[in-house]
Amino acid sequence: MSITELIEAAAHEPVTSTADGCLKCNVCNTVCPVSRVTDLFPGPKYVGPQAQRFRLAPGSPPQAGSVMPVLSPDHTVDLCSGCGFCTNACPAGVRIAEMNSRARAQMRADRRPHLRDWLLGQPDLLGRVGVPLAPLANAALRNRAARWVGETLVGVHRHAPLPTFSRRSFRTRWSRSRGRRLRAPGSADPERSVVYFHGCAANYYEPEVAEAAISVLERNGLEVIVPQQVCCGLPLISNGLYAQARARARHNLTTLATFARAGFRIVGTSTSCTHTLKAEYREMLDLDDEDARAVSGATWDICELLLDLHERDRLDTRFGRSDRHLPYHPPCQLRSHGIGLPALDLLALVPGLDAVDLDLDCCGVAGTYGLKREKYDIAMAVGQPLFRKLRESGADEAACDSETCRWHIAKATGIRVRHPVQILAAAYVAYAAAEAEAAGAPSDG
Amino acid sequence: MPSADAVVVGAGLAGLSATLALAEAGARVHLLAKGHASTHWASGGLDVAALPRAVTVREAVARLADDARHPYAILSDALPPALEWIRGMLQHEGLPYVGTIDGPVVPVPTSIGATRPAAILPAAQAAALRPWEPGERLVVCGPGGFKDYWPHAIARGLRRAGAWWGSAGPERVDPLVVELPGVRDRLNLDAIELARLFEEPGWRWDAFAAIRRALIIGGLDGPGRMALPAVLGLDDHAAVLAEATSELPLEPFEVPLMPPSVPGLRLYRALRAAIVRAGGRVQIGQAVVRIGVRDGRVVEVAMEAAARQFVVRTDMLIMATGGIAGGGLVGHPDGTLREPLLDLPVEAPPAMSWLAREPLAAGGHPLEAAGIRSDAELRPVDASGRPAGPAGVRICGSLLAGQRYLRERCGDGVAVASGWLAAGAHRPSAPRRDAPQSLAGEVAG
Ligand SMILES: Cc1cc2nc3c(=O)[nH]c(=O)nc-3n(C[C@H](O)[C@H](O)[C@H](O)COP(=O)(O)OP(=O)(O)OC[C@H]3O[C@@H](n4cnc5c(N)ncnc54)[C@H](O)[C@@H]3O)c2cc1C
Repeated sequence: MSITELIEAAAHEPVTSTADGCLKCNVCNTVCPVSRVTDLFPGPKYVGPQAQRFRLAPGSPPQAGSVMPVLSPDHTVDLCSGCGFCTNACPAGVRIAEMNSRARAQMRADRRPHLRDWLLGQPDLLGRVGVPLAPLANAALRNRAARWVGETLVGVHRHAPLPTFSRRSFRTRWSRSRGRRLRAPGSADPERSVVYFHGCAANYYEPEVAEAAISVLERNGLEVIVPQQVCCGLPLISNGLYAQARARARHNLTTLATFARAGFRIVGTSTSCTHTLKAEYREMLDLDDEDARAVSGATWDICELLLDLHERDRLDTRFGRSDRHLPYHPPCQLRSHGIGLPALDLLALVPGLDAVDLDLDCCGVAGTYGLKREKYDIAMAVGQPLFRKLRESGADEAACDSETCRWHIAKATGIRVRHPVQILAAAYVAYAAAEAEAAGAPSDG
Repeated sequence: MPSADAVVVGAGLAGLSATLALAEAGARVHLLAKGHASTHWASGGLDVAALPRAVTVREAVARLADDARHPYAILSDALPPALEWIRGMLQHEGLPYVGTIDGPVVPVPTSIGATRPAAILPAAQAAALRPWEPGERLVVCGPGGFKDYWPHAIARGLRRAGAWWGSAGPERVDPLVVELPGVRDRLNLDAIELARLFEEPGWRWDAFAAIRRALIIGGLDGPGRMALPAVLGLDDHAAVLAEATSELPLEPFEVPLMPPSVPGLRLYRALRAAIVRAGGRVQIGQAVVRIGVRDGRVVEVAMEAAARQFVVRTDMLIMATGGIAGGGLVGHPDGTLREPLLDLPVEAPPAMSWLAREPLAAGGHPLEAAGIRSDAELRPVDASGRPAGPAGVRICGSLLAGQRYLRERCGDGVAVASGWLAAGAHRPSAPRRDAPQSLAGEVAG
């Protein structure tokens, strides 16, 4: 076996078997943001590798003579937010967060999903309903009585940071302005174009993020292709609804794999969607076929891609000046990418901009976790150190690559939080404006 | 592919020291590690050297350095300035250490009721270093319901003849179990939870009052000191320690516990904060799997990541991957120990001797001293002293051959001195040979 094959094999070692490596050293418990704030969650060691020994492999028959198969001996695993800090901290390579995700799926496998989790798991469904009704839907989201009903009947916390629906989806805006061209891999040059995976957030709630990304990509000579796509499925995965997530994954893989195989790079503005395309389809959903590998290998986070352009001296670095302090929070999902902090490297290229890594753990929301009635208070408590540091920074704007974190932090602190690519896009505009002014200004003025 | 002046692999004391020294000198440095290191397991003290019949640390270091095969043979000059430097950094981060290499090595209590040799300890453990005056008592005080600290067992151990190696210990040793508010019924009461409780000003006020009351009721006041479990706060440790010292009638000192180590966490966090502030990058979570070499020089370092390896271009690699416990050396079924990243020649005894008859014999276990041999500049060499591996590599910490840290108590001294030396900090004004300006120029141009 070659080294590459060995590495490949190790990378696909079933998540749960890594439990054997656990030394019980408790290092994971020192980094868990949830057990930091609540006694209800005993911490990653207990619900992860420790409980794993009592869990049966999915689908295994009850053993003769044994007691009933225990699907999960510890239901508090539901309180794991999936941030992944435990996995990263473990000195012995135990995939704790991933193990917990599987345990949640196992716990739900035979049951009808909770209506709330089923809804939160499908931002695309919500978006399809919400966007056409945006004024009404947004009014309802702001209405206290409606939120109370939502909390009581559905279980979404009344103060949860729900985003507002855009009046028009990104896709509608895009096809109106650009037409419905460039859908097939054959019609473009993979060297000069990229495939954009916008995900649900940019499509239904924040088309401005998608448009900022596109303007930055185009500024750098890349043509942007927006293929057919559905929700990546991560919200379903984190709600333990693997079967539904798999259906979405298959749909995306079919479209995206043709591009990936033709040599196109797939770029996304949501660190969660891109991590799902890169790793979760293969590792969590067991869709480890050729399509999934091709898509994984072709997928890039937007900042990762832009930094790569820069390292190859192909990034336009003519950014306008912006003299200010900008606190930056790298989201947990970004850390799971294992790509460093590309946003921070890019923001450092903007003259005058002092972007600083806050170097704190999780903001608390962890996707849909912090929206839930029973978890909202935990999410707020987890985020406190981050909120405090942000408020103390005195900045009126911060940057973060992940949408749910942005919404949560903005709601908790009142500070505007933008995607780093929006800041880069604005810096390009500022440069152009300064140039135009310099050109237009009379020389004696 | 980002580029850096240096990449350090390993997040233990050696890797942290090297990274901080480089970042401070203005180098762009990435620290990459697959997980947390022995900081989280060890005592948080700085073990520099302790040998039977060596009165001071300096004496022990000198004796070790007499053996040409011990790392101190090449590190003993770097050791004093390196220790002074790291203590300055820690002091700056609010984590001062007490004791010097010229002070005596004395027995300090452990959480299993034995003593260990120590000379340089964090301020919170410092009161254990002072000689015991006649008439002084030691109260071993711990919270009821806490399973990692048993005052009665500890006190009993410390009363044994020989526990203080024949030197004068405390005149009396008394156990004291105190019920701290709300602690007894907690589901999970580990050191981290307790440390966080102590960070709540109201709670710790009540806790100190409860301890004062228990001392009076037990008739345990009077001249002396008290041994508390090492849980006096984490991020806000300085404030908690100051208050403990002023509020308690006996001078308190912390006793390190089973892993995870709160004093070790403080040490890690202080160094990490200093690194981030100095502009260094810390990325923990995936293994480094490949070192790229061109024309006999290191050119890049590749870490596992979600979709494709995270590659950092650099021509200076500091290997601080630890010994067998850290993952820097890996045993193979064929009876060899290997260094997995560069397959550097490992100095190790033949496999037949691995199964020592008396693994805890005074002379040490044969495997303890296994590691990579280096020249005076910490470049790897083979058994005959010829350069091994590509140029641009430095070895530090417990990966260095010839040390027996469990017996010689030299692990932290070797780590700090070698990290500092590998970073080139001993020649502060000279341009660093291994951090070429040309690379930065190449990337930007
Ligand atoms: C449990 C324990 C107790 C100890 N007690 C004492 C004591 O009482 N007295 C004493 O003097 N010394 C003691 N030591 C030793 C001492 O702590 C260390 O020698 C010293 O701190 C230096 O450690 P290090 O930085 O070299 O390596 P470590 O702390 O072992 O760190 C190794 C680092 O390398 C990383 N790593 C390894 N391989 C890879 C890879 N392929 N890719 C990425 N990262 C990698 C690991 O994740 C880890 O972060 C103890 C060590 C251990 C493990």
